[in-house]
Amino acid sequence: MRGLVTSPGLPLREALLELAYSALREGYADFVMVPSRGPGDSYSWILAGTPDALTSAEPLPPVMTVQGARALSSAAGEPSSRRILAIMRPCEARAAVEVMKLRQIDHANLTLVTMDCPGVIQLDLYDGAAEPEECDPANLRPACRQCSEFTACGDACIVRSADSNLLLPLTAKGGELASSLGLEEQGSLDEWSKRTEELRALRLGTAEGARTELRQQVAGIGRLSDFFADCIGCRACRTVCPICYCRQCFIDMKDRRSPASSHLDRSRRSGAARLVSDTLLFHIGRMAHMSISCVGCGMCEDACPAGIPVGRLVSMVGAGTSALFDYRAGKDPEEPLPLNTFVEEELHEFED
Amino acid sequence: MSSRTEATAGGRYIRCPGDHVEGVRSILRQLLVSGSVKAVFSLRSIPGNESFSYSLISDPRLVEEAVPFHPLMPVQAARALSQLTVSRPLEEKVAVIIRPCELRAFIENVKQSQGSVENMFFISCTCPGVGDSGKASGNDSGKSGGGSGYRTACSVCTDFVPGDPADMVLLLEADESPEDTRILLRSEAAASMAEDLTGFEIVQGPSLEQLTRAVARRRSLQRQDFIEKGPSAGSGLEELVSLFAKCIGCRACRQACPLCTCLLCDYETARTIYPPSLIGHEAERRGALRVPPGTLQFHLGRLNHIAPYCTGCGQCSDACPVGIPVADLFIRAGSLVQPALEYHPGRNMEDPTPLSTYRADELEEITD
Ligand code: SF4
Ligand code: SF4
Ligand code: SF4
Ligand code: SF4
Ligand code: SF4
Ligand code: SF4
Repeated sequence: MRGLVTSPGLPLREALLELAYSALREGYADFVMVPSRGPGDSYSWILAGTPDALTSAEPLPPVMTVQGARALSSAAGEPSSRRILAIMRPCEARAAVEVMKLRQIDHANLTLVTMDCPGVIQLDLYDGAAEPEECDPANLRPACRQCSEFTACGDACIVRSADSNLLLPLTAKGGELASSLGLEEQGSLDEWSKRTEELRALRLGTAEGARTELRQQVAGIGRLSDFFADCIGCRACRTVCPICYCRQCFIDMKDRRSPASSHLDRSRRSGAARLVSDTLLFHIGRMAHMSISCVGCGMCEDACPAGIPVGRLVSMVGAGTSALFDYRAGKDPEEPLPLNTFVEEELHEFED
Repeated sequence: MSSRTEATAGGRYIRCPGDHVEGVRSILRQLLVSGSVKAVFSLRSIPGNESFSYSLISDPRLVEEAVPFHPLMPVQAARALSQLTVSRPLEEKVAVIIRPCELRAFIENVKQSQGSVENMFFISCTCPGVGDSGKASGNDSGKSGGGSGYRTACSVCTDFVPGDPADMVLLLEADESPEDTRILLRSEAAASMAEDLTGFEIVQGPSLEQLTRAVARRRSLQRQDFIEKGPSAGSGLEELVSLFAKCIGCRACRQACPLCTCLLCDYETARTIYPPSLIGHEAERRGALRVPPGTLQFHLGRLNHIAPYCTGCGQCSDACPVGIPVADLFIRAGSLVQPALEYHPGRNMEDPTPLSTYRADELEEITD
């Protein structure tokens, strides 16, 4: 892998902005999709068509309000001649790749640029004061604290190595981007590789420990019910998930609702029955449906008003199934999705 | 509101010494033992777990786990009841513990064929309100309610005395809080059930309205103030944009709302979702576009659908993970739209629902 020197002397955030400007100026892209500052410390994605439109762009916002792949689905959901360059977090780019495989994003005219990701602050811990790039590790999303794919995703990635910014072309498209921007000077990736490997090993350890604990916490239907006891059924976890793109989720179809008589029977058998079986059905169904594609971004968990660590659960299940299939969500656009039917069967392994 | 003209004449109550939790449990136990009801629908504290969930309890011995009128609304009861009965009515009698706004919402559900009251025996209360439970209220476990006081929606709720659909009404919120358990027998079914209850005496008493006058006055002043001074009363577009600036599009507000029962929301259909080509076109025209688009369209659209029926429960605000006071906007809009339509959502089963054709033009009144 080569690193191409870009925006020397600038912080990462400025280097990303610089890239956005040049992509529009040099005509590499018709649009840049990038987060942008809105009223009152809010951030949202914009599709910017002119350099002027980038004035409030913030490529490294302290929070993730909408998962980038979800924003991208709305703008690139069908074949188009408009070329879009999206600047997004590694997990957002991985989600975009998964969604491409599910054919909900058209890849032909799309370039995904990521960066060395510092992580994002949990939405409810964000008080508006934090400057981008200044995330107190204690306030990071739990997903970020155990994220091992925090760099080098998408078509190209801008990384920091020994205080310089290097663009890493990761696909042919990334190579085209580099040449269209006229980047030629190579820089050493040594410092970056070393740092990344260390952090990755650390995070993998954290993730494994957390998953072992979680696996025990949800073993068996009773414990799984307890895990979701506070669930208010708001479906925010599904709505904000970039992978759950279905407008009409199969789990909501009316005929899947258990009739009152079955709840009453359950109540008679055990004296009292919690009315949470639809909740469990929903969560188990969702996991069966999409966990193999889960990129572990933690968006679902951040959106959960009841504070349920639902993202960690889905990504734990996903990690299990991925290992079984030797599949890595979002890493390689050419790698086919394992068949969904297999996934449902595996779930039983986890259920008991 | 002018709608409660009925029971100023007073009514029949059942009374027993002791606090209302034990009093209500005693009734529930007796109803189960006698077979008058086959199950009880109530919030229940789950043993070995700090959370509260709705349960159907059929064993009288487990009634002690019921926490009737615990000041928390994890799910709007109407939503749970609607899910339970949307495909088929209950086949056996169930006693349902329910707050006034939940009951009104459920009546609306039933009127819109989203549930059935058949075989339900409603025990409601004059309602002090419930606490915030959401993450955004600073209670990050989302567990125990009440920590930060009552919901805004409750402090401005003037509809806290349940109407006709309730069979029994526990006197909970009152000018002078009762030290014993006092329950109004509103329906004939309640009156005949009461005759078989032991440990209770039947007494005549003043009407619930008479017993809650000062509370009603206080809340009505608070409500007026809230409606006049609120940031979203008759808001302009800019104010609405900043109200929803932090919206993450999670739709929890819609999903939590007992009145948003559509399986496929109008704002998720091809009719309202912008196709990518149009998004590209708009971005070109304006130079930049927020994606995904339609945040305000969704909220104003939902407002347009729901404002005539909103029961002001505050569940939407409570569910919002980023603390947007969604209900404030809906309550204010409801306070404009409902009187204009002469509609009082959930008051009874008979009032005809406002024609859906009215809905389309109400929005203009609200947004300009
Ligand atoms: S999950 Fe990983 S890639 Fe995504 S924001 Fe967190 S650290 Fe970055
Ligand atoms: S399930 Fe949660 S963590 Fe996994 S991709 Fe969806 S939002 Fe991200
Ligand atoms: S976001 Fe949380 S409360 Fe809402 S459905 Fe998902 S797990 Fe349940
Ligand atoms: S809105 Fe009114 S009826 Fe509903 S919980 Fe609050 S006070 Fe009670
Ligand atoms: S809009 Fe909000 S306040 Fe009104 S009924 Fe729905 S959840 Fe309750
Ligand atoms: S619950 Fe809050 S964040 Fe979610 S859609 Fe509603 S207003 Fe937006």
